[in-house]
Amino acid sequence: MRKFLVIIFTLSFYGVKSQELFVVTDPASNVPTGSLGVRLGHSLFKEVFEPGYNYHLMPEITYGINKSLMVRTSAFISNRNNSLYAEGFGVFAKYRFYSIDDLHSHFRMAAFGRYSFNRADIHQEQIETMGHNTGYEGGIVATQLIKKVAISTSISYEKAMDNRPDYEFPTSQGNTASNYTLSVGRLMYPKKYTTFKETNINLMLEFMGQTILENGKTFLDVIPSIQFIFNSQSRIDIGYRRELYSSMLRSAPNGIYLNLDYTFFNVGG
Amino acid sequence: MNFKYITVLIAFVFTFTNTNAQISKVEILATGLTCSMCSNAINKQLKSLPEVDSVGVDLNTNTFTVHISENTAISPRKLKERVEKAGFFVGSMIVTMTFDNVAIPNDNKIEIDGFSFMVLESGSPLLNGSVPFRILDKGYVTQKEFKKLSKAHSKIPTFLGGGEDDYHIKIQSL
Repeated sequence: MRKFLVIIFTLSFYGVKSQELFVVTDPASNVPTGSLGVRLGHSLFKEVFEPGYNYHLMPEITYGINKSLMVRTSAFISNRNNSLYAEGFGVFAKYRFYSIDDLHSHFRMAAFGRYSFNRADIHQEQIETMGHNTGYEGGIVATQLIKKVAISTSISYEKAMDNRPDYEFPTSQGNTASNYTLSVGRLMYPKKYTTFKETNINLMLEFMGQTILENGKTFLDVIPSIQFIFNSQSRIDIGYRRELYSSMLRSAPNGIYLNLDYTFFNVGG
Repeated sequence: MNFKYITVLIAFVFTFTNTNAQISKVEILATGLTCSMCSNAINKQLKSLPEVDSVGVDLNTNTFTVHISENTAISPRKLKERVEKAGFFVGSMIVTMTFDNVAIPNDNKIEIDGFSFMVLESGSPLLNGSVPFRILDKGYVTQKEFKKLSKAHSKIPTFLGGGEDDYHIKIQSL
């Protein structure tokens, strides 16, 4: 853990342009008003209790309603039953309620909420309304930009319910959790911008943790990632998620992410 | 005094107070940006305004140079709102207007296309040719700078609570 804190501080002292378009967490900033973001999220995680990999396909559409509010809908598709199966969907909204912007810094805060439906079997103690559990999540996120380095942190409450119609939430497991995240991003290329067409390369380091409130079981993961932005309009994120610590049962904690993003600007005026 | 006379008088006064000038260029420094994708969001927002002819961008300073089409009137507020729609803020807005030997009146107020510009600081009493001026109102400068400005200009009631198209300006250089 100390090593990672050192890395974070090292990153934050470099006066380089950074990113807050994180790979696995959302910053306090929203997508622009009237723009439509389309993402095809893929993840491939190694199964712990059986051979093979768990593949998730997560198409998402994000829309900026106004300067403060954005909404998103996601579909959850997985290969857990050997063929691709649509397990559920989720809706998400984020409201930016606080902003202090200055020439070389900003601090923003936002509140977010998610509701997800999922009909897959419940196979782990970890609560994940993004693709595994029916349930909801609500929280706040704060993002600080100091001298062009972005650091973002969030805390949320998550509650899992029965995965209807076939799978009840096991009574032996805790169904509420608190989640916490910490993300840092840094632009590696270009050193100096010339045009919108130029490819940007960003490095990100993110931490995600969860504690089940009923029994105190906890995990903490680290997700280093690289991001390419093309033509100031499309993105490719490649991330690797690794468990640092866990006292709970998780079926596939380690794996890779591949996100393909495209933004349509000014779709709705 | 009949109605016709009053109408003529109003028309006469109007032509005299409404100065003939045109916004040709607006330089906007945006704050709170982290990436060229964010700049692009502002770029696309500004370009979608019908009054805007073209937008030049300096990605390193986040400065947007907006060229306004000839013979069109645009409110600086509209440009500010576009930057905010993209999710960012205006840190500085310098408007360039073309004047034809206009004297700054005693009340310091210039009316152009229904917008009111109150001159708070100026080096010369006469406006001629291309004149750049900076808008000092809330939302057109950083929050920090506005705090300072509102202290300095606390005696001007419209500065703290004027209409949304009533601007307070500093003439840059003549």
